[in-house]
Amino acid sequence: MLQGALAGLAAGGLYAVLAVCLTLMSRLVRVVNFAQSATGMFGCYVAVFLSVHAGLPTWLATVVGIVLGGLLSALLGWIVSTWLAEADTGTRSAVTVAVLLLLISLSFILFGNKPQPFHPILDGPAVTVGGVVISQVTVVTVALAVLVAVASRIVLSRTPAGVRLRALSERPTTAELLGIPAKRLSVAVWAVTGVVSTLVISIVAPSQSNDATSLAMLVVPAAAAALLGGFRRLDLAVAGGLGLGLIQGAAAQVDGLSVVRYFLPFAVIVALLLWSQRKEVWDAAR
Amino acid sequence: MRLAERGIPFAVAIVAIAVGYGLSVGLDGYFVYLGMSAVVAGISLLGLGVVTGSAGMISLCQLTFGAVGAWTVSALNEAQAPGGFLTWLVLGGLAAGVVGVLVGLPALRLRGINLAVVTLGLAAAADLALVQLQFPGVSGGISVERPDAFSDDRAYFQLAVVVLVLCCLAVHFLRRGRWGSAWQAVAFSERGTAAAGTSVRTSKLTAFAVSATLGGISGGLLTGQVGLAFPASFTAIQSLALYVLAIMSGAHLIDMAVFGAVLWVGVPELLKRWGIPQDWGFVVFGVLGVQALAGGGNLGTTVRQVWYRRARKEPAKLDLAAGTSAVEPVSPGPPVLTVRGLSVNFGHVAALSSVDISVPEHGVLGVIGPNGAGKSTLVDAISGFLPNAEGQVELGGSPLTGSPSNRARAGLRRTFQQDRVPPGLTVGAYLKFLARRRLTADEIGEALDFFGCPAARTPLSQVDVGARRLVEVVGHLLARPRVLLLDEPAAGLPHEEHVAFGERLRQVPARFGVSVLLIEHDLDLVRSVCDTITVLDFGRVLASGPQAEVLADPAVLKAYMGETEML
Repeated sequence: MLQGALAGLAAGGLYAVLAVCLTLMSRLVRVVNFAQSATGMFGCYVAVFLSVHAGLPTWLATVVGIVLGGLLSALLGWIVSTWLAEADTGTRSAVTVAVLLLLISLSFILFGNKPQPFHPILDGPAVTVGGVVISQVTVVTVALAVLVAVASRIVLSRTPAGVRLRALSERPTTAELLGIPAKRLSVAVWAVTGVVSTLVISIVAPSQSNDATSLAMLVVPAAAAALLGGFRRLDLAVAGGLGLGLIQGAAAQVDGLSVVRYFLPFAVIVALLLWSQRKEVWDAAR
Repeated sequence: MRLAERGIPFAVAIVAIAVGYGLSVGLDGYFVYLGMSAVVAGISLLGLGVVTGSAGMISLCQLTFGAVGAWTVSALNEAQAPGGFLTWLVLGGLAAGVVGVLVGLPALRLRGINLAVVTLGLAAAADLALVQLQFPGVSGGISVERPDAFSDDRAYFQLAVVVLVLCCLAVHFLRRGRWGSAWQAVAFSERGTAAAGTSVRTSKLTAFAVSATLGGISGGLLTGQVGLAFPASFTAIQSLALYVLAIMSGAHLIDMAVFGAVLWVGVPELLKRWGIPQDWGFVVFGVLGVQALAGGGNLGTTVRQVWYRRARKEPAKLDLAAGTSAVEPVSPGPPVLTVRGLSVNFGHVAALSSVDISVPEHGVLGVIGPNGAGKSTLVDAISGFLPNAEGQVELGGSPLTGSPSNRARAGLRRTFQQDRVPPGLTVGAYLKFLARRRLTADEIGEALDFFGCPAARTPLSQVDVGARRLVEVVGHLLARPRVLLLDEPAAGLPHEEHVAFGERLRQVPARFGVSVLLIEHDLDLVRSVCDTITVLDFGRVLASGPQAEVLADPAVLKAYMGETEML
C-alpha cells in the first residue's frame, strides 16, 4: 500500500505541475486550457521522433521538444489573445478544446496511435527508506511542482512583470490603458506554461502509459487538482496533485478497485465542485 | 396564421420521413448503412446543439451518454426484458438523461466551464472503464435484436429516420416553449434569467438533461445498427470531435445538426476513398472549430446569411409619438413593499447603511441620488442578488427572502441598468418567458403598443438597445407582480421621449395593477411620475416624503445639484 502510494507520487508530481500551469492560465489569461497536457505530449513525441528516427542525442531532442511545446502554446495564446481578447472564459476555453482534438489527431497521423519508444531521461531509484523505494522521477517531479509554484508566486508578487500580469488579469482594460503590453504578456504566459508542461511530461512519460490519448487526458486529474485551489491558489493545486497521485497509487494496489480507480479524478472533481459551490455566485459583477 | 405556424414543422417532418424512405429504397446497401450512422450522429448532435448552442455551455461527453444508452439496451436485451427494442431505446434515453442530471448537478451551479471539466473527466474515466468492463452480452456474443418489422438494413434505416424526425420535432417545440426561452436567456445572462423568476440551475439542468437523453437514444440506435456495442464507438476523443463539430456547424439549428451529421460520416468516408488517413478529418474539424470560435460565427449562421441575402435592416425603434388614452388614476394606498434597516457592506465599504424605504400600493416611488449613492445596490439587495445584505424586506405584509427567482415569483420584479435581454428570442417569446403565464396575442399587442415597442414577431437582435430595455419593462409588467423595481428604464431613450415614457409610467398602477419603484437620473421624468421620493446619498437616506417637499429640501439640493445650482 505504502509502496503503491509512493509509486503514485511520480504521477502526483506531474498532476501538480500541470495543475499549477492550469491555475496560472486561469488566473492570468482567463483560460481553462484543455490542451495543456496535449501541448506537452506533442512536444515530447517530436523529441522521441528526433532521437529515435533522426539520431539526435536524447538530451538535445528533449530540449527541441520542450522549445516546440512552448512555441505551440505561444501560437495558441497568440490566436486567443488576438481574436478572442474580449470573449468570455467559456469561449476562450472552447478554443483549447478544439486544439486538444487537433493535437491528438495530428499525433495519430504523424506518430501512429501506439505508445512511443521513449528513452528515459531519469531512471532508477533515488533513495530507499525502510524497504520502500523512491525513484528519481518521483523526487524530480515533486521538487519541480514545488519549485514551479514557488517561482510563480515570487514572480507574481515581487517582480514588475508579475505586478503587470496581475493587473492585466484583474482589470484587462485598465491595464491596457496604462500602457501594459497585454498581448505580449499573455503570449509569454502561454509560452512558459507550454515549456513547463512539456518538460514535466518529458520526465514522467517514459514511466507512464504514454499513448497520445492518455497523455492528453492528463489534463483531467490536473484539473481536479487545480479545482482544490479553485483555479486560484497555487499551493492547494500542488497539494491536490500530490494527494491525488498518492491516492491513485494506493488504489492501484487493491484489485477490487481497478475500475473505480479510473473514476477517482472525476469523483474528486465532482466532490470539489459540490463543496466550492455552496454559495451562489453570479455571472456578472452586477 | 397560428395554425400554419403549428403545422409547418409537421409538414417538414412528413417530407423528411418521405425523403428518408426514398433514400432507403434508392441507395445501395453500403450507403444505407452509412446513412444509419449519419442518423445516429444527427441525434447526438441535436442534443449537443441544445446544450452548447442554445444554453451556451461546454459538454464534452456526448458519446459517454451514448454509451449509457447502448449499455441499457444491451443489458435489457441480454436479460430478455419485456417490451422489445423500441421500449429499450426509450429507457436507454431516460437512463442517459438521469446520468446527465447527476453529472450536471454539481457542475451547473456556477459556470459552463465547470461543466466542461466534469464532462471531460467523465468521458476520460468512462473510456478506460468501458474497455475493461465491455458491454453486456458481448462476451456471450448475444447481439441486440432489431424489431421484427425493421430487421433488414433498409427498414432499420427508415426506423432510424423516424426516430430522428421525432427527436427534431421534440427539440423544435422545446426550443419554442418555456424551456427553450430559458436556455437562450441563461446563455445570455444568468441574472436576467433569475430576475424573470426562472431558476438558473434548473434551466441549465434541463438543457443538459435533454442533451443527455438524446445522446442515450443515439447510443441505443447504434446498438441496434451494429448488434454488438464496442467501446471504440464511444471514445472521449470522438466526444471532443462531436463537440467541435457542433460548435462549427451551429447544431442548435436543426438543419445544421443534420448537416453536421452528414459531415461526421461523409468526411471520413471521402478521406478513405482518397487514401488519406482518417485522422485528418478530426484535424480539419479542429481547425474549422477554432476558426468558428475566433470568428464568432458558424456554418449555420453563415449559410443563413448567404441564403437570405438580407440587407441589414435598420434596427426597430420605439414609437412613442402617439398619445395614449387616459385611464382613471387610482390613489396610492398603504405600503405594499417595506424595507427596514437595509445595510450592505462590500468589505469595509458601506454601500448602504440602514436604509428604510416603502412603496405605496398603486403608487410610484422615485429613488434619486448622485452616482455612487447606492441606488442599484438597493435594487440588487431587495431583489435578492446580495445574500449578505442585512435588514428586513416585506412584500404585502409577509417577509420576502430567498433567491432572486423565488422573490420574482413572489411578486417582486426588477429590471436592469445593463442590457440583459437575450438577442436570440423574438419580442413575443421573451414577453411570454418573463410573464410566466399564458398571454393572449391581444394582451401582448396591447401592452407593446402602449409603450410604443416593436411588434411581437420582431427578433430582439433587430431591436435597438433603448427599445429592448422597454420590452423588458413590458414583459415584467405582464407578469403582474405586486411591485416592479425599475433601474433607470429611460437611460437608452432619446431625451424627448422621456416625457412620453413618463406619461405611460404614470398609468402603470391603474393599467397593470403594479406598484413601481423608479430609479432615474432625469429629474423631469421623476417629477412628472412620482408621488413620493426618497433621496439616497452615500448609502444613507437623506430625505423621504412627498415630491414637492423633498425636492425643495436644502440638503437634497446640496447633495444632488451642488451648492449653487438651482432646480
